[in-house]
Amino acid sequence: MFWDAYKKSFDAWEKATADLMEVWLRSPLVLEPAGTMLTAAMKAKSMSDKASAMWWASLGLPTKRDQERTLHALNELESRLMDLEEQLDSKRG
Amino acid sequence: MIGLRKVAARLLGGRPPVGTTPAEEVIRENKWRLLRYRREGAPLKHRTPVLLVPSLINRHYVLDLLPGRSFAEYMVQAGHDVFLLDWGTPGPEDRFLTFDTICDRYLGRALRATCRAAGADKAHLLGYCLGGTLTTIHAAAHPERVASLVALAAPINFHDQGLLSIWTRSRAFDVDALVDAFGNAPWPLMQASFHLLKPTLNLVKLKQLVERSADDEFLDSFFAIETWGADNISFPGDCYRRYIRALYQGNELLQGSFTLSGRPVRLEDVRCPTLAVTFQHDHIVPPESCRVLLDRVGSEVTRQIDLSGGHVGAVVSRRAATGLWPQLSAWWAEHELAEAPKAPPARSKKRPDGDRARART
Repeated sequence: MFWDAYKKSFDAWEKATADLMEVWLRSPLVLEPAGTMLTAAMKAKSMSDKASAMWWASLGLPTKRDQERTLHALNELESRLMDLEEQLDSKRG
Repeated sequence: MIGLRKVAARLLGGRPPVGTTPAEEVIRENKWRLLRYRREGAPLKHRTPVLLVPSLINRHYVLDLLPGRSFAEYMVQAGHDVFLLDWGTPGPEDRFLTFDTICDRYLGRALRATCRAAGADKAHLLGYCLGGTLTTIHAAAHPERVASLVALAAPINFHDQGLLSIWTRSRAFDVDALVDAFGNAPWPLMQASFHLLKPTLNLVKLKQLVERSADDEFLDSFFAIETWGADNISFPGDCYRRYIRALYQGNELLQGSFTLSGRPVRLEDVRCPTLAVTFQHDHIVPPESCRVLLDRVGSEVTRQIDLSGGHVGAVVSRRAATGLWPQLSAWWAEHELAEAPKAPPARSKKRPDGDRARART
């Protein structure tokens, strides 16, 4: 009895809340400031990363980005080799 | 009380046995690998292999959830030669991976390897969610190896009324700032966005859990799906940038201006039989966003299966095992290219008629 009443009131509350939140989450009044804050936070992170990379590079050491580029180049090389292997196989076959 | 004890036992019992159908690795490149499910006694009734392509941002085992509740396992038992593309986990260096590399080179290689391993000229492609967008684009650019295409809750029209579409088109969303800051689009940020799509969903799930805590089968599925849902993957940075700009913001796939490795991608170039599976309560990919594919492709055979349920539940639920899965197996059997090998007679599976399916030929 109590559980049924609870379920009914929960369902009603949930639907009303979900509908209301969806209206908010579609509204430019919410989206614009939230997006602006998120973008500002991300730009701040980029700037801080860039500053630390510059300091690191000034010591003559490879930065995180340098290592990422190198690893990516190795992966690309592996892909090219696989392309060549496939081409050779298809010519043999 | 017994129910709560069962919940506690599962919470303390560790990870559910997800993704355990036996499979062998066919090929591996960078982080992705191609899996081929072992038949282990199940007869091969259909020669044309099936390649399953899940979303880039979720683990592949959503299609192989639990023993006895696995889509891949079901298809193997139904006599299909099942392959699955596991995208793996991108590392920081994969921020430079482009959309073209993933959709053209990686998916193309997986498709060729599938055909080679199965000894077939073509394969059936099934793409789930973003995987469906990738397979559709690939099938339009390289139709030669695609026997049929299944777009399972795949976004095709990105300018819909869904929240994801509205957020990504908002002026305040700066995709460059995100990729420059993080490299890969971080999974916690994407997971938070998915939670925001339906902020009350976790409370609804909690209520359901209390209500059905004595039901072992429900609990097994619940914890498996929750395990999968919390196990997300970051989106390779450059690929994400193009995905948002060209598809979400520009809707280029539908407008016919999208290119893959410099080659124009036109949906009308998809000429193989095409099936769109949509879910009526899908709050991630609204049904119309996927269904529009059927109006645009050049295929002579198109079909829509429109089911009740949500984006994930309708694919992995108990009901899917008797509704969606047999219909997909029947679709592939119907569009079998080669003559089926001789196999001992198998149990026939009745095609359910509870869900709407409409054919257009």
